[in-house]
Amino acid sequence: MIYLDYSATTPVSYDVLETFNKVNKEFIGNPNSLHSLGVKSKSLINSATKQISDLFNVLDSEIIYTSGATESNNLALIGVALAHMKKGRHIIVSKLEHPSIYKICEYLESLGFSISYVNNDQEGLIDFEDLKHLVKEDTILVSICAVNSETGVRQPLKMIRQIIKKENTNCIFHSDMTQALGKIPVNFHDVDLASCSMHKIYGLKGIGLLYKNSRVSIMPLFHGSSASATIRPGTPPVALIASSAKAIRLATQDLDRRETFIKRLNEKIVKELSNYEGIVFNQTKYSIPHILNISLLNIRPETFIHAMEEYEIYLGTNTACASKELSSSVLAIYKDKKRASTTIRISLSHLTTTDEINRFLSSFKIVYNKLNDLVSK
Amino acid sequence: MMKMKQIIMIKYGELTTKKENIQYFIRTLNQNIKEKLKDFSVTTHFDKGRLFIETTKKDHLLIIEKLKEVFGIHEIILGYKLETLEIEEIEKAIGELVAEETFTTFKIETKRSNKKIPLTSVEISKTIGAYLLKNLPNHKVDVHHPDLLIHVEMREQESYVYFKTIKGIGGYPVGTLGKGILMLSGGIDSPVAGYMTSKRGVKIECLYFESPPHTSLEAKNKVIQLATILSKYNGSIKLHVIHFTEIQEAIYKNIPHEYLITIMRRMMYRIAEKIAYQSKAKILINGESIGQVASQTLDSMKAINEVVKLPVIRPLACFDKLEIIDIAKKINTYETSILPYEDCCTIFVPKHPVIYPKINLCREYEACIPVDALIDQAIKNHEIIKINGQEKNDYEDLL
Repeated sequence: MIYLDYSATTPVSYDVLETFNKVNKEFIGNPNSLHSLGVKSKSLINSATKQISDLFNVLDSEIIYTSGATESNNLALIGVALAHMKKGRHIIVSKLEHPSIYKICEYLESLGFSISYVNNDQEGLIDFEDLKHLVKEDTILVSICAVNSETGVRQPLKMIRQIIKKENTNCIFHSDMTQALGKIPVNFHDVDLASCSMHKIYGLKGIGLLYKNSRVSIMPLFHGSSASATIRPGTPPVALIASSAKAIRLATQDLDRRETFIKRLNEKIVKELSNYEGIVFNQTKYSIPHILNISLLNIRPETFIHAMEEYEIYLGTNTACASKELSSSVLAIYKDKKRASTTIRISLSHLTTTDEINRFLSSFKIVYNKLNDLVSK
Repeated sequence: MMKMKQIIMIKYGELTTKKENIQYFIRTLNQNIKEKLKDFSVTTHFDKGRLFIETTKKDHLLIIEKLKEVFGIHEIILGYKLETLEIEEIEKAIGELVAEETFTTFKIETKRSNKKIPLTSVEISKTIGAYLLKNLPNHKVDVHHPDLLIHVEMREQESYVYFKTIKGIGGYPVGTLGKGILMLSGGIDSPVAGYMTSKRGVKIECLYFESPPHTSLEAKNKVIQLATILSKYNGSIKLHVIHFTEIQEAIYKNIPHEYLITIMRRMMYRIAEKIAYQSKAKILINGESIGQVASQTLDSMKAINEVVKLPVIRPLACFDKLEIIDIAKKINTYETSILPYEDCCTIFVPKHPVIYPKINLCREYEACIPVDALIDQAIKNHEIIKINGQEKNDYEDLL
């Protein structure tokens, strides 16, 4: 099997799973219980949180555990909207967001909020001038992802933050960092709120986190006993939290070396696939090498994915969560519907081997030529 | 290129005023520094004016951060050691070193503890200054507000060059003034009191009173956490934990409630003094601040203090709460102190504690409980927790 869909999800790391199993067996107490079993569970959570907050150089209380990035995005956007609606009802997002952000925006529109979509240039970079004009006095929130999930385009968050805050110091800045964490260095201090997911960094599915700067207030989406967390109540999943601390620690090690390796693999694929006709690369100078998006202009992506599957090679179409639709990110960058409807996403990991890429390329050749011949007849 | 080596230099604080036993102070500081840096590979040596730490370059910044927690250090300097006393060679070395600095004006300050060198300090500064002016066009000397202050120190066989100094936390090396018992409650004040006493060279041991089931395990963990933070400054700490439940219940059952706190404090003081004698400590330390609560009025202090003979040091006696909070934040105990767990002073609080307790009434009431037996029992069962320097992560293997 050759897995090349790491941006959809990653296999859980052995060490992370070990922690998960061990904690589930040995920490049976509810962290909200007063007795020593509860205290033991709670102190494990505290140590895990401290390790995470130290790593990001933020406060323990600024880490909120959620069920994943979709919930983090909901909590960030809806939480800010509801808490700050008296100051304004205007929200700005980019055209390169994960589908979950657009769904939340639709919901917020139904509640009476107005959403603006900031433009980007041909390289996928946010149009700073446009952003500057869009941020008004009643703009309460801007949400721009750190790395686009389809094309890997990376945004300069620090600069974007400066632009936003210069126009309106009260405007809150959220970033979906799901595709950035574990691939490139992330800095929570560039933003007020940040969403992350553990299953994208070799952790377990079912847990993510929201970084919330202590000065920012948001409205909780869930209401319950406030024993441990007021923003996101409920019995904390001890084993998932402990395993997250480990996943983050392991995934943020050695980023440079891993990136260099992945870049070599990416270049190898690009070089080889450039020889084919009917293939374009949806990759700009701001794309990180972990995500390689291509359009097979003459072939339906689903057909191609399934054909590759026969060789036990697993690729992605758009974001896993929005297959069968146009790639909104590719459309936003290249303004080309055909290109946006034929995308394939090859996502790479430090676990990918050169041998896997070689085998992928030879299978690609067979499948592509076969399907291309069919359509050209 | 001239052979030079980067080196960390320590300037002593108030020690230099201690004529007689200065050697003892410096030796203790040296030991404390070695203990603090035990995870690094370092060699140290010292003389009357400076302590030198040699280590690998990559650890310099980490080590400097650690040294900022060591009492007895006035200044930390990252400098260069030159194995020469020849002015020409020193000049050349400085020429190379300043190439990496950005400045237009400079001043040279020379110290020469080696009096065999024929030139005076001022002459050396002038000579080196002239060399730099010749070799660095567009640079000027400014003796009042130089961009770059170049320090040159010529010692017996070698010279040192450095530019910047980093402020240390001052005080005396911990241990040079003996030992004290800190009554550590888990609140904001007592950790600050401990820090301030450590700063004056007193090695502290901590004493905590627990009353399970009235106090929780979390309250005790909080105190362990506070002691761990203090151990950064104090070196390893012995935490004495006294099981106080029986005493507290005996007081609650037998003594008029407005005197609960007064009698409880008297019992704590007695126990603290016994622990101090056992540990060969010379003083008791606590976080009392005049007037802050009922048990800290002058009358209360008088009524409580009379049960012990050892001096009771109250570093915060004359501090406002906000001043205390500022220090607590600076030394990083505040966040832990405000965690909401009950300690044994906040349980059994009477509605109207006495503000002007009478000593004779205290004695009369205490006759209702077996004071000595209760104290002996508590001391006999006391638990000692050793806390060593680093904040440890219990779950390292899991995380």
